[in-house]
Amino acid sequence: MTTRAQLLGLPAVAVALVSGVLAVQLNHGGGTFEPLAPADPCAERTVTAQAQGIDGLTERLVLLGLDGAGCRLGLSREALTLQLAQPGPRTDEEVDALRAGLLDAVDRMKEDGTLPPASELVDEAMDNADLNSFLEAAIRALPASVIDAALKTDDVLVNTIEDLDLRAVLENIDDQDELDAQMNAAVTQAVKDALLDRLRNLI
Amino acid sequence: MRRVVGPLLAVTVALVLADSAVVTLALPDILLNLHTSVAQVAWVLISFNLVLGLVAAPMAIGSGLVQPRILGAVGIALFAGSSAWCAVAGTIEVLIAARCLQALGGALALVGCLELLVAVYGERRGVATWVTAGVVGTAVGPVAGGLLTQAFSWQAIFVVQVPFAVLAVPAALAIATAPPLVQDRHRPAIRPNLTLALLSAALTAALFLLVLLLVQGWGHSPAVAALTVSVVPLAALAARPLARLLRPPPDVEVAAGCFLVAGGLAGLALLPSSNLAWTIAPQALVGLGLGLTVDRLTSQAMEMRLPRAQHAGWTIGARHLGVVLGLAILTPVFTADLQDAQVPAQEAITALVLDAPLQPDSKIAIAEALGAELTQQEGRIPDLHRAFATLDLDPSERPAAAALERELDGQLERAATWAFRDSFLVGALLALLALVTVVVPRRRSAS
Repeated sequence: MTTRAQLLGLPAVAVALVSGVLAVQLNHGGGTFEPLAPADPCAERTVTAQAQGIDGLTERLVLLGLDGAGCRLGLSREALTLQLAQPGPRTDEEVDALRAGLLDAVDRMKEDGTLPPASELVDEAMDNADLNSFLEAAIRALPASVIDAALKTDDVLVNTIEDLDLRAVLENIDDQDELDAQMNAAVTQAVKDALLDRLRNLI
Repeated sequence: MRRVVGPLLAVTVALVLADSAVVTLALPDILLNLHTSVAQVAWVLISFNLVLGLVAAPMAIGSGLVQPRILGAVGIALFAGSSAWCAVAGTIEVLIAARCLQALGGALALVGCLELLVAVYGERRGVATWVTAGVVGTAVGPVAGGLLTQAFSWQAIFVVQVPFAVLAVPAALAIATAPPLVQDRHRPAIRPNLTLALLSAALTAALFLLVLLLVQGWGHSPAVAALTVSVVPLAALAARPLARLLRPPPDVEVAAGCFLVAGGLAGLALLPSSNLAWTIAPQALVGLGLGLTVDRLTSQAMEMRLPRAQHAGWTIGARHLGVVLGLAILTPVFTADLQDAQVPAQEAITALVLDAPLQPDSKIAIAEALGAELTQQEGRIPDLHRAFATLDLDPSERPAAAALERELDGQLERAATWAFRDSFLVGALLALLALVTVVVPRRRSAS
């Protein structure tokens, strides 16, 4: 073996081996194996919900609302969720951003036609509402077309969001039953108020 | 008699040097068993290497005053006794104290065993046996420790050392030697020792960080981690045939070895997934590099230098202080990165839970359980399975919840791998620094 071969042989093998290994790894995504990056909260996102009825609607609203609030606050949806999950008082900025985000979500769902007609929500709202049986029976007897003509889902939701005590909701965020009760009460109240209002007008 | 005594002394040398990293795979078990912190448990490794690194050279300098058989026997006995003490340690403080004593005995044993092996096998073969036993011990230590921890417990690592060491005491005493008469005294070989120190720091990154990533980051058992890192010693075995085939000059061989270690560590920093198969090729590079460098550098540091034991002491000191340097640099880097990785990991987990195809009630229940688990395991990589196991979900939701658990585990693996990336790169940098010490031209001595 020549001196040149002795000098260069092993370094050449080492360079080839290292380059080969690193090239294969980089080709297969080496260096980018990192946790899922949060999506831009200001970019439009498609959300889905497994739940039906008011629960499903609330879930989609909350998911879109978090994006809207995060966009306003300059945080990702995930960072905002983690921030809101921490115990302690909420700032006015957080509460205002969340309310505005939820209202944006209603607009967005109205625009893309994903808001269900009010008639789909009325039966569920009546189950939770504390109405006298005569009035409840009268509302339930209304045809869907009458309800949908008299009641707009987006109006109900906007009223719900505007009347909702978001600060109290956020304080109960780790008490599932209390959270459900507050959300159901707010939606039910808004549906009930709107329906009663329309009924009074009709009468 | 030579047939028994020589191998027993070589095994003792391997055991002492294996102890440098033998507990690496047992650290998670020690952490839990002795109810301690990550920072404290690292001292189980650091204390041994620090004491061995600091006392090896002074012990070697003083060894000329004592008969090697007495020095070796006392060292081995102290090593055996303190190994037993390590096994019964009930607190982290006691374990660290026992490890310090173990290193003290180990330093005496290493110096004594060198002279005894030379007495048994002759100068050339004796030194070669001592060097080879050390390299084998260093390479095999983490694997053996992992398998013993998995099969029995972390205490077993120390228990199994006792009988070997106990048998080696009479073996050492059986060799009649006088303190070697030294006519010449050579200065320590600074360059190979410096290269060895930097390379040891880099190799610490490879072994210490990789096993932590496998066990803590990816959730593998110590046995699986031990089998995985066995690629390093296996690849080291291929280094000699490769060097014989290409016959490079010694410095070129060491330089190529340093480059391979740096390349392997860069490969570990750039893993494309948490599949164990991806660690094999980078580990093979590290193993090849280890095989080409450590014994060659140790020989360079000791060859034709007298007193032999003294130069062995400098070499042991350089290696183990290098390990301490590696741990001192890397531990804060990866613990800080692990801390920093918590936020992206939590955000990724939040995103997956929010978008999971589950009922809202189930999502809230999962989020609460995960929150409790993450709070309990602050500072460590959490075990999400416990959070899912406590849930009372509707049977129709279980498949989606199981899929979510797998996805969340995947995110944790990604976060852990990401957190170790910079540390592996720092390790690669240390190996490149070792390479620089080899390739920088020597000053010409005045003739």
